[in-house]
Amino acid sequence: MITAESPITRTQVSGVLDSGSRFIAPLWSLENFVAVNSYMGMADMTFEEAMSFLQKSANVNGTLPIDFYKEVLKKGIIKSSDVVKAMEENSLDMAIEDDKLFEQLLNAEDTETETKPQTFADIASLYSEKKWNRFMVDRISFWAAAYFDELQAMWQTSARDNSIFTAWKQEAEIDLSPEATGLKGFRKYIASLPDHYLDAVALALDELEVPGEMMDFYLNGLLMKMNGWAGFAARLDWEAGLNNTESHALQEFLAIMIVWDAAIKKLLNEAELDQHWDRHKNDTLELLDINKADDSLVNRLVLQKAYDLAHQRSIIRQINKQESKPGPEKAKPKVQAAFCIDVRSEVFRRNFEAVDSEIETIGFAGFFGFPINYMPLAKESGRNQCPVLINSSHTVREKIEDAAAHEKAVNGRLRKNQFSKAMKAFKKGAISCFGFVSPLGIYFLPKLLTDSFGLTRPVDHPDNFGLTKSQVKQKGVELTHNSETINSGIALKDRVKMGYSALKGMSLTEDFASIVLIAGHGSTTTNNPHATGLDCGACGGNSGEANARVAAAILNNPAVRAGIKDLGIEIPESTLFVAGLHDTTTDILSLFETDSFFKKPSHQKELEDLKYSLSLAGEKTRMERSRRMNMKSADVNSEIINRSKDWSQVRPEWGLAGCSSFIVAPRERTSNLNLGGKSFLHNYSWQKDKDFIVLELIMTAPMVVTSWINLQYYASTVDNKTFGSGNKTLHNVVGGVGVLEGFAGDLRTGLPMQSVNDGMKFQHNPLRLKVFIEAPVDQMSKILERNEGIRNLCDNQWIFLYAINDEGKVAYRYVGDLQWEMI
Amino acid sequence: MTQSVLALISLLAPGVLLFYAAYALMVHTGRAMRLSITAQVPAVVGLIISLISIALIYIYGEIVSPLLGWNGLGFSIRLDMLSVLIMTMITILGLVIMRYSENYMDGDPRKNVFMARLAVTIASVELLVLSNNLFQLLTFWIITSICLHYLLVFYRHRPQAVAAARKKFIVARVGDLSLFIAVILLYSSFGTGDFTIIFAEVGASNGLSFSVALATILMVTAALLKSAQFPTHGWLIEVVETPTPVSALLHAGLLNAGPFLMVRFGYLLSESTTSSVMLVVIGGFTALIASIIFMTQPSIKVSLGYSSVAHMGFSLLLSGLGLYAAAILHIVAHSFYKGHAFLSSGSIVDAARTKGIISSKRLGHPILIMFSIVASIVIFVTSSYLLGFNLNDNFSLLFVCAVIIMGLSQFMVQIIDSQNSGILLASIALVSVAVSFSFLGLEHLAGVMLVNQIPDAIIPHMAIKISAVILFVAFATVIVIQLIAPGLKKTALAYRLGIHLRNGLYANVLFDRVIGSLKPEKFKWANLNVKEEVDTMPHRTGEEEVSTLLKRAEVLVNN
Repeated sequence: MITAESPITRTQVSGVLDSGSRFIAPLWSLENFVAVNSYMGMADMTFEEAMSFLQKSANVNGTLPIDFYKEVLKKGIIKSSDVVKAMEENSLDMAIEDDKLFEQLLNAEDTETETKPQTFADIASLYSEKKWNRFMVDRISFWAAAYFDELQAMWQTSARDNSIFTAWKQEAEIDLSPEATGLKGFRKYIASLPDHYLDAVALALDELEVPGEMMDFYLNGLLMKMNGWAGFAARLDWEAGLNNTESHALQEFLAIMIVWDAAIKKLLNEAELDQHWDRHKNDTLELLDINKADDSLVNRLVLQKAYDLAHQRSIIRQINKQESKPGPEKAKPKVQAAFCIDVRSEVFRRNFEAVDSEIETIGFAGFFGFPINYMPLAKESGRNQCPVLINSSHTVREKIEDAAAHEKAVNGRLRKNQFSKAMKAFKKGAISCFGFVSPLGIYFLPKLLTDSFGLTRPVDHPDNFGLTKSQVKQKGVELTHNSETINSGIALKDRVKMGYSALKGMSLTEDFASIVLIAGHGSTTTNNPHATGLDCGACGGNSGEANARVAAAILNNPAVRAGIKDLGIEIPESTLFVAGLHDTTTDILSLFETDSFFKKPSHQKELEDLKYSLSLAGEKTRMERSRRMNMKSADVNSEIINRSKDWSQVRPEWGLAGCSSFIVAPRERTSNLNLGGKSFLHNYSWQKDKDFIVLELIMTAPMVVTSWINLQYYASTVDNKTFGSGNKTLHNVVGGVGVLEGFAGDLRTGLPMQSVNDGMKFQHNPLRLKVFIEAPVDQMSKILERNEGIRNLCDNQWIFLYAINDEGKVAYRYVGDLQWEMI
Repeated sequence: MTQSVLALISLLAPGVLLFYAAYALMVHTGRAMRLSITAQVPAVVGLIISLISIALIYIYGEIVSPLLGWNGLGFSIRLDMLSVLIMTMITILGLVIMRYSENYMDGDPRKNVFMARLAVTIASVELLVLSNNLFQLLTFWIITSICLHYLLVFYRHRPQAVAAARKKFIVARVGDLSLFIAVILLYSSFGTGDFTIIFAEVGASNGLSFSVALATILMVTAALLKSAQFPTHGWLIEVVETPTPVSALLHAGLLNAGPFLMVRFGYLLSESTTSSVMLVVIGGFTALIASIIFMTQPSIKVSLGYSSVAHMGFSLLLSGLGLYAAAILHIVAHSFYKGHAFLSSGSIVDAARTKGIISSKRLGHPILIMFSIVASIVIFVTSSYLLGFNLNDNFSLLFVCAVIIMGLSQFMVQIIDSQNSGILLASIALVSVAVSFSFLGLEHLAGVMLVNQIPDAIIPHMAIKISAVILFVAFATVIVIQLIAPGLKKTALAYRLGIHLRNGLYANVLFDRVIGSLKPEKFKWANLNVKEEVDTMPHRTGEEEVSTLLKRAEVLVNN
C-alpha cells in the first residue's frame, strides 16, 4: 500500500503503472487496421490462467457460453477421448470427477455470471443509483476523441501539443460536465493535483488505498474498461519503441483513469460507499489468496480445449491420410506464383493450380521480404508497408515512368486536394455551411442515387484520389537511389541482399519457371470503416501492390541478378518476374501491365495464357466462396463483385474468418488438400535451409503474426464486447482513427460482430492456431529455446505446434518444455 | 369531384408501406414464410405515386380529396406543390434508405422488425405531409414521433439509446401538447379543420384574432421542439445509438416537419410578428451556436447531428423572415445532403487515408482576406444583376444572400489566401459563380413552384428586422473570425471557449441529469428503462455434424 509515511519515488510509480498495464494490446488506427493478438501481454501465463485472470479482474469471457460447446459435443465433433485428454492437460483445478465427467459437462449450465465490480466507480455504480463507471468512461473517451482526432473537427479544441496527461488535466480544470452531473468540486480537485502524472498517480492511489498485492488486478480491471483508447496509447509506445524514442502514452492514459477513479471516491465522499470499497478490497485479496478459477469457467475451458483437440485430430487426419509417396516427378512448371500466406490465398491458389497442372504456387509473407516505406504521389510522408513487428528499411516513391506525365499527375492530385480542402471549409465552416447547403445540397440527389445503386463510390478510393483512370494505370515504383532530395530508393547492394533473402525465404532457389508471378493482395470494399483490416497485414494493413511491384522490379534487374548469382542463386535470363494484385473481395487477380519489363516480346503468349488461367481461377474461387455467403441470386460472379461496390454491405467478404492452422512445408504436402480457406500456407524446405536461419525467421515472424490474427479472431468471437468492435450498424467513426459503437463509450478494438458471425452461426469458430512445420524437431526446439516469446506462446498453448516428418506425415506434437510427443 | 377522388391515389404510397410492414412483422413472428418481396418494392411504388401526383397537379392544379370525418375534422388529402414536393423528397429518401437497410441489417435477428418500423415511419411522414385537415395533421404529428421512438430504442439494452429516447419523449410530448392546444384553438375559431377554408379566411381577414395568434405561437413552439432547437437538441445527437439508416431518415426526413409546418401555415405566420420573432431569434441562435459546435466535434455522426440542428435552425429562421420558398429549398437541399452524409459516413476513413498530401497552408494575409470578401460580393452581386434580381427592396432576401456571400468568402479565402496556381483560382471563381447562379435560380424556382401555397412577400415588421440585423452581425463576426483564423494567436480564452463549445455548452449534460441518464431503472412507467442485454450473436457453430460429413464423403467415394 502506498502511504504517506513511505513516500514512493516516481520510478516506483512508473513500475506499478507498467506492471498494471502490460496486458493491454496495441490498437492500430483505421487507416492501417492490422490484426493484433488481443492477449498480447499474457503469453507468459498459460491460456487457462490468463482467461481466469481476465475473468476475475475484468469480467472478460474467455470462451463462448457452454451451450456452444454442448452443441459441438452433440454433433459428434468433440469425442469423449478429446474431453478426457483435455481434462488431463488442464492447468486449472477442476471440480468435476472423471467418471461423471461427460454427463456432468452435458448437463452443465453457465452460472449466471454477475458483473463483478473492479474499481471504485464500479462500487459507486453498484450501490448508488447512478452508473458512475459509465460516466467516467464516456468522459475520458470524449476527451481522448478530441485529443487523438486526426481529421474530423475543423476546430481543434484540445491541447494536442501537450502530452496526454497534461492535456487532459488542463482540460479537466475547465470542463464543467462532471460538476453538472453531480461531482461537485471536480475541477478544484484536479487542479489541486501535481502536474506530473506520476506524482498525481501517487496521490490518487493514496486516496484509493489499493493494497500492493491487488495492484495489478485493480489496474488491469480499470484499464480493460477502456482497452480501446488505452490500446491506442499503447500503439504510440509501440511505434516509439520501433524508432527508439521514449514514450509513456499508456502510462499517462492509465494515470488519467486512476485519477478519475480517485476523484469519484473523493468527491462523492459517502462513508457507505467507502465501506463497500474496503469490503471489496478485502474480498479481492481473499479471492487472490485462494487463487482458484471459477468452476463454470473451468468447465468451459476444458471443453474449449477438447474442441481444439478435436480440431487437431481432424486436421492431422486430413494431412496424414494422403498418399505418402511423392507423386510422379512433376514437370518443370511454366508459371510459379508467389502469394501471401493469408488464408484467402489458399482458396485461390488451389483453384489456380487446378486450372493448369503446370502452374505451381508458393506461399510467403505478403510483403515478400521488402520492408519499404511507400510514398504515394504528392505525399509528404510515406507509410510502412511491412509487418508491424519491424520498421521499414527503405523509402520507395510512387512514380509514373514518363516525367511529364508524372508531373501532371502530381499537380492534378495537389490541385484536387487543395480544392477539396476549400470545399470542406465551405461545407463544414460555421455559418458558411448554410451558404453551402442552400445552393449545392440539391446536387447530392444524383450522387445519392448513383451511390445507392453502386454506380459510384461515395468518396474516391484513396489510392486513386485526384488521378485519372489512365494515370492510375501508369503508376509504378521509383527504385533509383536518390539521396540528394530525400533519402529514397534502394541502393544496388541492398537490392541484391533483399532479393536474395526473399528467394531464399520462399525456398525458390532453383528450377525457375519462365514466369514468376508475385501476387500481393488487397481488398475492395465501399463505405467500410474497417476496410484496411481486409488488406494485407504483412504489408502493415495496406494493399500489397507496392511490395509486389518492388519485388518484381528488383528481381528483373540484370545487375541485381548478377549480384544474386554471386551469392549462389542463378535466375535464368528467360525468367520474367511479374507483379500482380489479388483482390480478395472479388477474386480478380490483375497484373501490372504497365511495368516496363512487362512488354518483353518473348513472353507475350505466356502472359496471355496466364491472364486466361487467372480469370478462370477467379471464377472458380468466387464459386467456392459463395457457399459461405448468403447469396441472393444465382449469378455468383456479378453478385460478389457488386458486393464490393455496395455502400450498405456489412459483409463484403469473410476476411480471415475461420483461420485456424498454419502449415509450413513444401507445397506438395498441401497441394492435394482442400483446406477450405482456413489455413495459412508458407513454403519451406528445410533441406535447402543451411543453419536453419529461414526456419528461425518463419517461427519468429510469420508464426507470431498468424497467431496474432488467430487470437484476434478468437477474442472477437468469444468476447466481442471487450475485444471486438460490436455492431457495425452503430459504428461512428471518431477522429478518422477508430470507431465508437454509437454516441459514447470507449473506442472499440478488434473485429465487428458482423465479421465473425453471419447472423445464423459463427463463421469463425473459436479455435487456437495449429502450426505444422516440416523440419527436424531438435532444430525447432533450439529455436524455441533461443526465443522466449515464441516459446511462451507454444508452452502455454496459445498456439499448438506440430512437426511433419520427411514422409509428409504429422508425426510429433510439441507438449511444452522443449518436449515432443509422438502422434 | 372526380379530380378530388384522384387525390386519393396518393394514399397508395403509404398504403403499400403499411402493407409491407404488416407482412414483415408476420414473417418475424412466424405467421408468414420468408419475406419474398424486397423493401424496394413499396419504396419504388411510393416514388411512382409521388411522380403521378406531380403530374396530377400539373394537369389540375391543387387537388383536395373529400373529407373522411365529422364536422370539418378528420382525414383529407391535399395535393399541392408544397405537399407533393416534400412527398417526393420523402419517397426518394425512402427508396434509398430501405434499399440500404436491406443489406445493412442483414443477419440481425430482428431485421424484419426494423424494416417494418422503418416502413411505418415513412408512411406516417407521408400522411403528415399530405394532410389537409388539422385532425390528420395532429394525428400523424404524434404518430411519427411514436414511430421514431420505436426506431430509437431498437436496441433497448443500450443505456445511451434509452437516455436519448427519454429526452425525446419529454420534448415530443410538450410539442404534441402545444400542437394539440393550437388545433383546438384553430378549430374553435374557424369551426373547421380544413386548411383550404382556414387559409382563405385568414387571407380575407385583417390580422389574427387573439386565439388564432396564440395558436400560431403554439405551432411555432411545436415546430421548434420537433426540429430539436437549442437547448432541446440533446436527443437528436444521440440518435447515433440506433442503426445508421434511422439517422439518415430522421435527419433528412422527420426533422423537416418543423419547417414544413411553418411553411404550411405561412398564411398565419406572416400575420403574427411574435411568432416570426420567436423563429428568427431561436432558429437564428440555434443556427449560430450549433454550426460552431459542429466544427468542434470529434466523431462523424455526432458532428453531423449538430449540423442538422443548425440547418433546421436556419430553415426556421428563414420562415420567420417570411422566406418560405427559401426555407423549403433549404430543407430539400439539406435532406439530400444529410441523407448522403449519414449513409456514407463510413467512407470518412477513405478521406483519412488521403491525408499527408502536400498542401499549401493559409497565409493569413489581411489584403488577400479582404480581397476574398470583395470577390465574393462582386461575384454574387454581379450574378444577381445578370439574372435580373433586385435585392434592394427585399430585406429578407438580402439577409439570406448575405449568408451565401459569407459562405463564398469562406470558400474563396482558402485558395486566395494561400499559394496556389492560377488554375485553382480560376476554378474557385467559376464554382463561386455557379453557386451564385444556382442559389438564385433555385430560390426563384422554389418561389414559382410554391407561389399558391405561401403568402406574398411582405415587408417584415421592425422587430423582425432588428432581430435579423443583430443576427447578421453575429453571423458576420463568426465568419470574419474564421477568415482571419490563421492569423489569430491561440489565446487562453479561445481554448476555454473551445472546450465549452465541444461540450455543447452543457445543454445536453444538464438535460441528462434531469432525465437521469445514469439511472437505468428510471421511467419504468413509460417503457423508458434499460432492458437487459440480449446477445444478438447466435452462438451456433458453423461446423457440420460428423454424420453429415461422413455421408457426403460416402457419396464422393461412390461416385
